[in-house]
Amino acid sequence: MKYAFWPGCVARGAAPELYTSTLAVARHLGIDLVELEAAACTGAGIISDGEPYLQDVLNARTMALSEQMQLPLMDICSTCVGVHRLAAEKLRDVDYRIRINHHLAPEGLEYRGSADPRHLLWILLEDIGEDRINSLIKRPLDELNLGPFYGCYLVRPERTLEFDAHPTRRNSLERLISMLGATTVTYDGMTKCCGFPILTTNKQNSLTMAGTHLDEAQRMGADALVTPCPLCHLNLDAQQPDAAKVIDRRLELPILHVPQLLGLAMGLPPEELGLTRHVVDTRNLLNRLGV
Amino acid sequence: MAEQRFIIQRYDPDSAESYREEFSLDVQPGQTVLDCLNAIKWEQDGTLSFRMSCRHAICGSCAMKVNGSSMLACQTQVSEAVELGDPVEVAPMGNQTVIKDLVVDTTKFVAQFERAETWLEPHEDQEPPEREYRQTVEDFDHWSHASTCIHCGACYSDCTVAAVDEKFLGPAALAKAYRFVMDSRDSKREERLKFLAETEGGIWDCTRCYMCVQACPKDVLPMDAIMELRALSIEAGYTNNHGSRHHKGFASGVRKRGRLDEASLPIQSVGITRLLTLNIDAHKEMLGYTPGAIRLLKTRKLLEAAKRHGASQDGREHIQRIFEEVEAEKHHHDVDADAFAAEFETALGSG
Ligand code: SF4
Ligand code: SF4
Ligand code: FES
Repeated sequence: MKYAFWPGCVARGAAPELYTSTLAVARHLGIDLVELEAAACTGAGIISDGEPYLQDVLNARTMALSEQMQLPLMDICSTCVGVHRLAAEKLRDVDYRIRINHHLAPEGLEYRGSADPRHLLWILLEDIGEDRINSLIKRPLDELNLGPFYGCYLVRPERTLEFDAHPTRRNSLERLISMLGATTVTYDGMTKCCGFPILTTNKQNSLTMAGTHLDEAQRMGADALVTPCPLCHLNLDAQQPDAAKVIDRRLELPILHVPQLLGLAMGLPPEELGLTRHVVDTRNLLNRLGV
Repeated sequence: MAEQRFIIQRYDPDSAESYREEFSLDVQPGQTVLDCLNAIKWEQDGTLSFRMSCRHAICGSCAMKVNGSSMLACQTQVSEAVELGDPVEVAPMGNQTVIKDLVVDTTKFVAQFERAETWLEPHEDQEPPEREYRQTVEDFDHWSHASTCIHCGACYSDCTVAAVDEKFLGPAALAKAYRFVMDSRDSKREERLKFLAETEGGIWDCTRCYMCVQACPKDVLPMDAIMELRALSIEAGYTNNHGSRHHKGFASGVRKRGRLDEASLPIQSVGITRLLTLNIDAHKEMLGYTPGAIRLLKTRKLLEAAKRHGASQDGREHIQRIFEEVEAEKHHHDVDADAFAAEFETALGSG
């Protein structure tokens, strides 16, 4: 299995453990990842704040690059996949595509409208499948109670994510968690916003959101959260001490990336998964697994 | 006919007691959640309180949470609700105070429309028309999606920012404000954009969480309206705010290296000019980032970010070219508009 791989800026920046754990897990699953070195940032909805057209051109280009490679496009970030899919949806309009393709032509590229960007989490469920994953589990996570934290763009808008055609996407994280032997802790905040997009514009609101969800999950008995979104990871992990202050609660909840969780179950060493690089210490969690 | 269980969140203001109560009833195919609430009220418990009127998704009074998400009870079939959870859990809307059972106090929600002055402000120098103020179909098409709001509050109920900030204008009032910004008969476009960009709880406080888009029973697309307001306010020059600086800093990083520049973005968002001119607030904001930055440094994450991974050289060149082309196209567009305006003036003068 081979994919055009878009790591996203954060996995290649402040969340390097997401990048390395993805590569490690892919290797063990036998997935070939061809990184889109020439592609641009998705714009994350921030470029489109002022320039929606520009953001669409950049994403059309990324999708055209994947078409040129004749490979399905894989993202490892809820925001990236959401923004890619929204662009793909707008670019189904032929006239819009023609207009945008003018900017791709000088590079010999053309977006033909065939991209179907998917998150690694979906690819695990849809392409790899439960049987293959089960066969690779060396260290079942029976001991753990895990809270899912999706990130807005992997749950909304449902139309863009095609939940009706792919019902497993609706609860993809719960499915993965139980596949790996752990117990899912459900709580209100799991499909809500982590607050990251407004961290710089309104820190108080942003950290109240993060803190509230972390506190709720902790009270419901979660040992850790698992998220497919590195932006959520930044607000929930790196900002957790500040979030605790803002809501005036004690918080100590490790936040795992999806491939880190899978890697743990596959028996990979924590260092290879970057689990030692979190702000919230993962040691207690690893001890419980006897690692 | 099949028996269906409902768990209803109740609140009794006299005893200040809130509790969940289970009801069972026979449900016919095609029946809505509202039909069932009526049946419960008529046949099982006359004290159950909820709002309703039209039963046709027009009046906007029956919004409530069904299995955790806000929707119109009269528009939601029991068979759909069951897919999201069985027994069906019914609760009052969120982000507002409950008066009794499923009835909430909408004062806060309604007040946001007043704050945003969401009514037509016609041009004062114009004689009022004999009948109504009219506009062309083309003009209406620009904002028609935002015209269908029934003020049900479902979006506000699920809004993740309204949950933590009473001052946030919220999706419905902002979508309505957008509607008047776009309305060719309105005279206050500039003032509106300035207010929405600069007021506390305005357009830049939205997290882009899509809750409102998902909840709205009328496809108003409130979040899309907010995003358009952002672009319009930047275009109109209301850029002295954190949100538009963040946009500009983010975009300029991508323009240079093809990727997000995490290392310099906080500085750009706070505003380089503001920092250089020793603006006290700017320095405080910058300090606000520091604890996080020190932690990131400890885990060596900031070092990774500071390495500034970029797109490949070849990719960068094309990304820069695209930025330039899009900018030139915009400029071209401006020039055309200016030329047109000049022509128009001359034509008017000679006519
Ligand atoms: S997108 Fe913005 S307005 Fe809409 S629900 Fe989310 S935060 Fe509220
Ligand atoms: S925007 Fe939609 S959900 Fe919000 S009040 Fe209007 S109709 Fe209801
Ligand atoms: S009763 Fe009028 S909208 Fe539901």
